[in-house]
Amino acid sequence: MKQLVVAVIFVLILITSLIKTSTKEIEDQIFIVKENIRPLKSELEDVLLEFNYLSSPEKLVQYQTQYFEKDLIKIEIMNIKEIIKNNETLEIKDLISKSGNE
Amino acid sequence: MNNKKNIILEEYENEFSYKKSKTNLDIQFNRIAFIFFVFLVISVIYSIQLLHLGSLKEENTKEFSTINKNYRADILDRNGNYLVKTVKSIDIGINPIEVIDKKKLLINLQLIFPDKNYEEITKKLEKNKFFYLEKKISSDNYEKIMLLGDKSIKSEEKLTRIYPQKNLFSHIIGQIDDDNKGISGLEKSFNEKLKQTNEPLKLTVDTDIQFLIREELVKFQSIFRSKGSTAILMNVNNGEIISMVSYPDFDLNKREKIVDLNFINRATKGVYELGSVFKTFTVAAGLEEGLIDTDTEFLNLEKKLQCGKSSISEYDNKIPSDLTVEQILIRSGNIGSVRIGQKLEIIKLKAFLEKIGILSKINFDIEEVGEPIPFKWGKCKLATVSFGHGITTTPLQLAKAYAIISNGGFAIEPSLIKKELKDPEKERRIIKAGISEKINPILRKIVNTKEGTAGLVNIEGYEVGGKTGTAQKTIVGGYSKAKVNTFAGIFPTSKPKYVLIVLLDEPKTSSDYVYEYKNKKGSYKGTPFNTAGWTSVEVAGKIIEKIGPILATKHIEN
Repeated sequence: MKQLVVAVIFVLILITSLIKTSTKEIEDQIFIVKENIRPLKSELEDVLLEFNYLSSPEKLVQYQTQYFEKDLIKIEIMNIKEIIKNNETLEIKDLISKSGNE
Repeated sequence: MNNKKNIILEEYENEFSYKKSKTNLDIQFNRIAFIFFVFLVISVIYSIQLLHLGSLKEENTKEFSTINKNYRADILDRNGNYLVKTVKSIDIGINPIEVIDKKKLLINLQLIFPDKNYEEITKKLEKNKFFYLEKKISSDNYEKIMLLGDKSIKSEEKLTRIYPQKNLFSHIIGQIDDDNKGISGLEKSFNEKLKQTNEPLKLTVDTDIQFLIREELVKFQSIFRSKGSTAILMNVNNGEIISMVSYPDFDLNKREKIVDLNFINRATKGVYELGSVFKTFTVAAGLEEGLIDTDTEFLNLEKKLQCGKSSISEYDNKIPSDLTVEQILIRSGNIGSVRIGQKLEIIKLKAFLEKIGILSKINFDIEEVGEPIPFKWGKCKLATVSFGHGITTTPLQLAKAYAIISNGGFAIEPSLIKKELKDPEKERRIIKAGISEKINPILRKIVNTKEGTAGLVNIEGYEVGGKTGTAQKTIVGGYSKAKVNTFAGIFPTSKPKYVLIVLLDEPKTSSDYVYEYKNKKGSYKGTPFNTAGWTSVEVAGKIIEKIGPILATKHIEN
């Protein structure tokens, strides 16, 4: 019985060591992937910042006056349509009912 | 002398004798136990190591904040656009003492930075004193210069706070000082959180809507030549602030020291007497207490009332003497409001105003919050407070109160920080059910009927409702000629989603501005009266026209 307990403990330690070795490899791989992601993430953040700046409302208005002759037009809510998909057909409805809710 | 000594010899008895150990220890078992113990120790060591490896991720995060003392988390708007970003920048310097071959270094530098003044650099090299060659170097040039492998070239990594939206959120975001400490706005109130976390702070504001609202305020600042202005757009159901503009504002990137009081955050810090916008509260309090209904009639209303030394009169002398509660609010009757206030008495009106958050300082996400000026209630004070005079509050508190009155009577707290907010139906109700259903249609009539004072904001498709307020500014010992014109609006009135507050501080009339009527055909040139109905209501109308399609199509409430 005692020998069995010792054998079980030994086996368990052996299994732990094996698992640890295999997870270490995975950990290394994870670490490498993470290290590769880090600069990409940083780059993405910088690009996003640039995008946010260049596509900010102020910049867009500036580009509009700089490159286009026509002024921006105001969209009236009564002219906005809503596309509703019904199975295979598309239905176009006014976003706001002309009769109104009043 | 007989010195005889007697020596006595005693037999030495050796007491040692081998005896069998009397302990009951089983040697064979002890060995097994010892081996077991060794294995146990080894397994414990392994377990500790495994636990340690498991906790590494958390430790890394902690390490991050301690290493980057100058780091502050980014701030995003509700759509994930950067409002503030901390970016790394590298400065390149040269320590002349460590230069081995000055000529070779200069040639290499000329290849990387051909536009630099090399006479000056040569002089600096000769001085043997550290100097910066290039600040905020590009990544390409950084790689090139580091490839030179010269020990004298030193790189210094720095963190810079960038505000891509410049002025747009100046009062909300606030400034930081040279020690990386927040000194105003969210930078101050969230100073520790921004320093400790790597996660960006997400706000409720929308950059596009903020821009459109600011654009209108800037435009009308030149038309009505006001000292300043403010606008707040808030979701009435959860208190999320979609836009909060205070003009004039400042560019956060310039890091200027703001000392001019005109640059205060009028939306939260400005404490104003707001006039007739308070009549909505008087009527709502009367309905809440069951003392009046919308069709309750007040007969033989005087045109003028005397209270102590001061007199209370109607702004519009053509106002009828017999009015219902609804008509009092639509026509903005002062005397009628006083009568409702008198029915309520001090305790009830005061309790109602306290309940909707008008009287006390508001607890908000930024620290720049004004405190309503305390006053002593009395008979005359009750009368003036009933129509919004002799009582002060901030535009933010006005927005909160209108949100509560229109959303069904549920408590909300204005917020700039995006969080998972519960549906107000599940939250605390502070005003009886049915009050909003009575007030909202009256606010709508103020906008879409000829008798109402806010016809210019009747933009088709939005069901705008609201109340105007024109008040003279207080000065020591009385009132000045300068005015504060306010419009407090909600839309759509059938199921309110948004509250919009527009306040113009000391506007003047414009002789050139052309008004397009909304409730009838035609236009009108020049501002006939310096009232909210002809100033802030017009601004609110233009704002709703522009932001309305975005609000309707972007499903911003999600």
